[in-house]
This record gives sequence, C-alpha cells and structure tokens, in this order.
Amino acid sequence: MKRRVQVVICRTCSGAADVLDVDRLLRVASDAPYVGSAVIVNYACNKKSISEIVDDAKSKEVDRLLLVPCSKKDVSPTLFQAYVKKAKMNEFLMETVDLVGEAALPHRDDPARAQAKAEAKLLAAIARTALLEPLHKITEDMRTKNVVVIGAGVAGVEAATTAANLGMHTIIIEKSEKKLKVPGVMMTKSRVISTEGHAGNYSLSIEAGEKRETLECAAVVVASGGDWSDAERRFIDAAPDSKPLYQLDRDVSEGKTPDGTVIIIDTPDPEGARTAAQDFAWEEALDCAIEIRKKSPATEVYLLFQEMRAMGLAELAYKEAAGLGVTFVRYDAKRPPEFDSEDGNRVTVLDMAQDETLSIAFDALYYASVSPNPDNIAIADALRIPMSPSGGIRRGSIQRGPVTTLRPGIFVCGSAKFPKSEGMARLEGRAAGLLAAQFAAAGEVESGGSVAEVAPEKCSACLTCVRTCPYEAPFIGVAGKAEIAIQMCQGCGMCAGICPSKAIELHHFTDEQLLTEAAVYLRGDF
Amino acid sequence: MPDREPKIVGFCCEKHGIDSVDLAARSGRQYDSSIRLVRVPCTGRVDGTHLLKALEEGADAVFVLGCLEKNCYYDTGSIEGRKRVAYVKSMLSEVGIEPERVEMFNASSSMSWKFSEIASNMVKVAARLGPIGSRGGGR
Ligand code: SF4
Ligand code: SF4
Repeated sequence: MKRRVQVVICRTCSGAADVLDVDRLLRVASDAPYVGSAVIVNYACNKKSISEIVDDAKSKEVDRLLLVPCSKKDVSPTLFQAYVKKAKMNEFLMETVDLVGEAALPHRDDPARAQAKAEAKLLAAIARTALLEPLHKITEDMRTKNVVVIGAGVAGVEAATTAANLGMHTIIIEKSEKKLKVPGVMMTKSRVISTEGHAGNYSLSIEAGEKRETLECAAVVVASGGDWSDAERRFIDAAPDSKPLYQLDRDVSEGKTPDGTVIIIDTPDPEGARTAAQDFAWEEALDCAIEIRKKSPATEVYLLFQEMRAMGLAELAYKEAAGLGVTFVRYDAKRPPEFDSEDGNRVTVLDMAQDETLSIAFDALYYASVSPNPDNIAIADALRIPMSPSGGIRRGSIQRGPVTTLRPGIFVCGSAKFPKSEGMARLEGRAAGLLAAQFAAAGEVESGGSVAEVAPEKCSACLTCVRTCPYEAPFIGVAGKAEIAIQMCQGCGMCAGICPSKAIELHHFTDEQLLTEAAVYLRGDF
Repeated sequence: MPDREPKIVGFCCEKHGIDSVDLAARSGRQYDSSIRLVRVPCTGRVDGTHLLKALEEGADAVFVLGCLEKNCYYDTGSIEGRKRVAYVKSMLSEVGIEPERVEMFNASSSMSWKFSEIASNMVKVAARLGPIGSRGGGR
C-alpha cells in the first residue's frame, strides 16, 4: 500500500470563526510525513470542488484522503461517496478531522493556543490516516419483506397497519384468541419462542396453538403492551372495586360518569415496589376529571398524584380542572395514602401542598399506572434484547431513534416499554411501523467494515468476549477459538478492549491507530 | 508549578460523547485548550493500555468520556468503560501514581454545559499534580 495522504482543507469551514490561520495549517500538512498532497479548497461540500480534489488525488497518486471540514456530521455524505467512487478509493481510507469544533470555537479567546492545538491535531489526524487500512462491507439481500408485530393491542395494530400501508407483509403474533380485522396475517394463540439470524433476515420460532412454525422476517416490532390484568395490586384488598384509569376514560367518553366521590390516583402501588408512578397519565386524568365535573357537578373529584406535571397545552387542562373545582392532592411516596382497613372506601393522605391530613370517603377509585407485562421476560429472551429494571422492554439509546431497541431491525412501542396513554401508544405504534417498514423496504442489509476480528493463535477461548458483547456476535468456533459473526457485529470494540489475551482487533480503531494518534497529539506543545 | 501547560488526553466516544463536545463548541463554551481528544467508537473499546500509554507518552491526566450509562448507544459500553478506568486507577495506586490522573465521565448529546466542566476538572487535577513523578511519586 502506498500510504500517501491527500489533505484537503476547506477554507469556509476551517476559517470559520476567524480563529485559525488556514494557510499555516496547509504548510504544516505539506511538511508532514506521508502527505502526498495538501490543498485548500474554498468550499469542500460542492460538486466542483469534488472533481478538483479527485483530479488532484489522481495526479499526486495518493491513496487516502484526510478532509479538514467542520464537524464530520456536516460533511455531505453523497458528495463524498461520489468522491470515493471517482477517485477509486476505499471508503475506509477517507477520514475527517474537526479543527473547528475542537480548536477554533472552544478556544477563540486564545487564538495562538487554538492554532497550535489545531496544528497538533492535524498532525495526529494525518498519522492516523496514514495507518488506515482498506475495509470491505458485505451486502446481503433480505429474503422477505415480512414485518412481524408482537401484540395486537393499540400500538401493535397501528404498527402493523402503518407497515402494511407501506407495502410490507405484516404478521401479528397475538397470545389471546381475539380476532381483529387487520391488514396482513394475524396469528392468534401464538408466541415467539426464539430467534435466529440477524437484522434483515431474522428467523423466528413461533408456537401457534399446538404447532411450531418458523417465520422469516426482515424486522420485528414488539408491542406487547402493559399488564392489563388486575393481579396483585396493593389496592385490591383495601379497595376491591378500584379500576384502571383507562376504564374510566372509556366510560366517560361513552357518557357514563360515576356518582359520588371519585378518586384518581397515579399508581396502584404508591411505594413503587411494583409500579412506579408514570408520567403518561397526567393528561388522561385531567381530561377525565374535567368531563366528570362538567357532566355531573355533584360528583367530587380528587386527583392524588406524587407529581402533576401537565406538560405543554395540558397546562390549560390543569387550569380548567382547578377552575371546575377538582381537588389536587400532592402526596409523598414515602408517606403513601392509607386505606382504612375497616371502611374500604376511605383513604387518609397527607396533602403536601397544604400540610394537612385529609380523610376522604370515596365511591370509586381509579389508578393510572399499569404494571409491565409479565410476558416481556419471555419475549425479551426470545428476541435476545435487554429489559429495563422496571420490567419493560428496554429501548435503545435515543441516538438510534425513539422506538428502537439495542438490536437493529427490532423496534419497540407503546406500553411494552412502560405504561403509555392510548394516544401515545398509537403514535409510537405508527413510528415503529414506519421505521420497521423503512428498514424492511431497503431489501438488503450491510455489515462488515469497522468490525472486530479474532487472531485465533492468540485466543485462549476464555469466553470473555462472548459474555461481554451486547450483540452476541462472538462465539467459539469449531477450531475451539473465538470467532465473530460479522453480520451481528456492530463495531463497538468492547470485545477488543476486554480480551485478556489481546487477541481481538477492531478494524478502523486498532490499538496502533489509537495510540499513534494520541502520541502524535501529545507531542504538540501548546 | 511546572512552566508548561498541562497535557490531557481524553478518549471520547463517537456517539453521545463527541456530540456533547460538539454542542459545547457550538454553544460558545470556552475551555482550556490542554485537552486532546482521541475518538473511539465506544468507551468499551478503551483498554487499560491505552490509558497507561497516554500517561507514558507525556499526558499528565487522561479521561474517558462516554454516553450516560442508561442511554449508551451500545447499551453497556460506558459501563465497560467505567470498569476499565477503575481498573487502571487501582493499578496506578499500586505503583504510587495518583489515581485521580485517570477519570471516567458521561454525558448525553444534549448536555452543552458538561464538557467545559469536565475540562476544567481535569485541568485542575493536572495543574495540581504536575507531571508524573514531580511530587515524589514514581513512574
Ligand atoms: S476474550 Fe479473547 S481470548 Fe477470550 S475467547 Fe474472546 S478472543 Fe479468545
Ligand atoms: S465489536 Fe462490539 S459488537 Fe462487535 S463483536 Fe466486539 S463487542 Fe460485539
């Protein structure tokens, strides 16, 4: 390999903020080892500049590019894909360095040090770029356009309908016998047992009644919902007639309002042992309270909440409810409401706002929160996705998107994560349906590139990598040494960081690349 | 006080970590320029030798910056990162080097204020301790 770097400095970006001396940066780059060409362009993200850069790359016979733009995220990916293609360069030999975000902007008060730092960082980036290796991605066709939705509740039906409208073939897996008119296929009395394969080509084992089936799919949406059964509630003994809030919501919308005194409490378990107070119910509770007071002014309504954070426009509902005479009681989770053991319809609670203990005789009690679905454990286990400590399916980092899970191609929506209002569940169902459809519609999945690789001669088969990888990519192969399933590897490098025998290398972030970058950067005095 | 500026290396994850740095910069936050960031895909990629090598190459202090533990892009990456840092700290204590020279931090991409705090934290540590060995500690 030639290891000749082309350094392209974008004047618009690097000169932004008027802190850095771009021409000096160019001189530093020109004199650095491995640099075959260093040029300044006025504006890098532009077609004309790209062809200039490609021509320069060809005439100077460089094999890699270091672009000095603003942030990596601001670089137009399509333009630079075009560059890579035209210059016949491997895409992993193109690197960027952000001198603006890391030197110019945060040190504009001290331009001399900012310049010195930018120069050191540029040299470190050149050293790193020189060490990059060409890497290759693998594309695999998806065998189906199937989107499997687990659960036929509000969120699940919405997800399936959305994905089906976008041309996907949807299959709903529902544990009960309920029959619904939904697009695609609905399998009742079914559940997912296990999963094989990887994103784009998952293969699910389904138990449908007595039968076992294998179902191929491109993407999965988990919409298992909350636990709507009334098991083990703290209030069940004390207040046997207590009901979940959604029933009140339904009754009220059908014009049926309860008589006497109504209490709406945030959670059936105020100490939070089983269900923490949830943040979804404020709006629904307010709406119900308002409707009841409007339709039957004789009915007293108490809202017992640890916190009432009516957000956004719900603030108006809060105001309206207060105006209609709804009583708000804020209580402390450490001093939860007490139910009278003799008189099941009386509750004593310390109102924190008034510092006054209230004893309220009520006729109906509704609780807002619901428990997580106990089926989540089996579902998470079957799909190999993590759960949250509260018993829901854990969503992926917010940077992956709002309804994602850790695993690409598997989405989660509605109360499967934690209790949601009906409206929110529907919205999330739509989001998950859209993302799953978008994922499946691509028709192919990419893997490889910056992934981990084991040097078998160094591996002592200690299984550390197998246990550490969140994606279950490493496995012990037939030779008794660890191997990494490329299609599963997400390139985080945790296995490389932890392997006690230093047998794993993460491509594109090798020890040599990282340590060289740090060492060169440290050589700069500023 | 040594007559040179402190040298600090930060291994920073490419997800929430670098986003918080970017946001700090774009929100006009200023911090000491002694910080030298090296990007890693995830803080779980960092291993003890990276931190030790950086100290050996002349860094006065080294830190690792990753996603919040509950919102890590790779789920358990920043927990792994924290464990590696803790391990290196205990190793440093054993050989008589101040363990405060190595630290773990977490941020989410929306925390514009966090990075300048981290920077001033580490600069203070580096300024107080000086180069390794300068206070009688061995290298
Ligand atoms: S951690 Fe390293 S030594 Fe252990 S099984 Fe994995 S590759 Fe082999
Ligand atoms: S790089 Fe990350 S995803 Fe890939 S095998 Fe290693 S730990 Fe798993």
